[in-house]
Amino acid sequence: MIEVLLTGIHSSIQDLGRFGMQNTGIPIGGAMDQAAMQMANSLLNNHKHSAVLEMSFKGPKLLFHQSTTIALAGADMNAKLNEKPINNFTAIKIKENDLLQFGNAHQGKRTYLAVAGGFKNPEILNSRSQYLGITPEATISKTKLIPIDKVDLNLKKGARLTLTESNETDTIPVYKGPEFYLLPKKAQDQLTKQVFTISNKNSRMAYVLVEKLLHELPSIWTAPLLPGTIQCTPDGTLAILMRDAQTTGGYPRVLQVSDEGINRLAQKSTKDQFQFELTSV
Amino acid sequence: MEKALPFRFFIIHPKVAVLEWDTEPNPRLLKLLIGFQKAILKEFKEVSQITQGYCSLMLYHNCEIHYINDYPNSLCLLFDSLSHYSFTKQKIWQIPVCYEESMAPDLKSLANQLNISTASLVREHTSASYQVNFIGFLPGFLYLSGLPKVLECRRKARPASRVDRGSIGIGGKQTGIYPIESPGGWHLIGKTPYPLFEPKKKNPCFAKAGDSIQFLSISKSDYLELEKQRAQGTLKIKPL
Repeated sequence: MIEVLLTGIHSSIQDLGRFGMQNTGIPIGGAMDQAAMQMANSLLNNHKHSAVLEMSFKGPKLLFHQSTTIALAGADMNAKLNEKPINNFTAIKIKENDLLQFGNAHQGKRTYLAVAGGFKNPEILNSRSQYLGITPEATISKTKLIPIDKVDLNLKKGARLTLTESNETDTIPVYKGPEFYLLPKKAQDQLTKQVFTISNKNSRMAYVLVEKLLHELPSIWTAPLLPGTIQCTPDGTLAILMRDAQTTGGYPRVLQVSDEGINRLAQKSTKDQFQFELTSV
Repeated sequence: MEKALPFRFFIIHPKVAVLEWDTEPNPRLLKLLIGFQKAILKEFKEVSQITQGYCSLMLYHNCEIHYINDYPNSLCLLFDSLSHYSFTKQKIWQIPVCYEESMAPDLKSLANQLNISTASLVREHTSASYQVNFIGFLPGFLYLSGLPKVLECRRKARPASRVDRGSIGIGGKQTGIYPIESPGGWHLIGKTPYPLFEPKKKNPCFAKAGDSIQFLSISKSDYLELEKQRAQGTLKIKPL
């Protein structure tokens, strides 16, 4: 068990989400930056679906009620174990009563905490990912205990990853959406040449962008969407759907962000800027 | 010359394709979309799941689409042979709704806007049979067609920030039930005690695309009794 002393800004348990039931309106969900989540899991030899703690912007303060091994990946949150700084991307032994605390995110916005064997909050509809309406709560809550796997790893020396690439890339690979072809050339060019800024309306569900797209697209009959779909409202507002995206919507779908692009966007937030880079499928 | 496809085909992601029909939604298309999904899942092991809109399907694949031989022509052949596939029998669901004022914050104002009495609004809403076109937007949210013309209306100017679970709404040409608490811009004309989305069940949503829905007016005391059963988990939904 892990006791939550402070929750941080938005910390939730996530695995790879609920795939296969989107025809009942259930969002896929899952970790926002799945590349970072899987790095944390692989450092502990966990299954790639093992649930992790996703921490956004500012991390929590946690007290371990059991021994285990942990690994961190994603943004740097100045993690401290019993007041001493620890590194991301390496396996670290934890003893009972150890205190793990995080500060603000640097070099990215989201950090993933994996534990040996994974978090063990109840599975609902084949996933432990928190989503309000499916799970009782959207985030972890203060003073509560979160169950984790009882089996620890027998590590003599921790595994370690060295990253060669920064997780702060400012190009986002995209494919053409179903309504891209209906846009005039000028609007198509604007999408691929302009620098875009993330507005303060950004969440696990969608990122609304500051810059608007000049267009005269009609609305469409409500149609399927998926994480990464970029919708364009009548006034030109662009919204990039993220992991908790709704499954259908009635706005034209101009672009589709690649899987890698969603991971990169997950490490960005309000005021961050980027450009779309059109790729072929 | 290659035969023109009956639908537009877009690959929007290496593993996801969108099929779109250039038409207004209609019952014949809905039947075809339902039968087509069943046939695709049977014939193409590469397709892992399908989601549906009014005039479109989204196909998720477990491999990159360009590895599939002669796609989308073979999809087209399958679509043309659809009459050979039997369609699943559609179910009819009767949903009890309490239209009394305390459960229907917008009933009076909507009746005023439509220039009809609240009694005839309720009569119109309960006399129609609605068809589930597909499920989306929220877990368990049914997109229903078949709203009587006299009930079509503008959406509320200001969406409510909190709509209760079970609320029945009308907005534009659509009517629907809020399966979980959420914000919403539709006029709220009643409330159902029925469990519409049950995440702990294997099939969390009772209805499927193609099913029919009828609304049945109930009193407040019936509502409270059924709501008590729902809270205890003993209220079961059964089709007619």
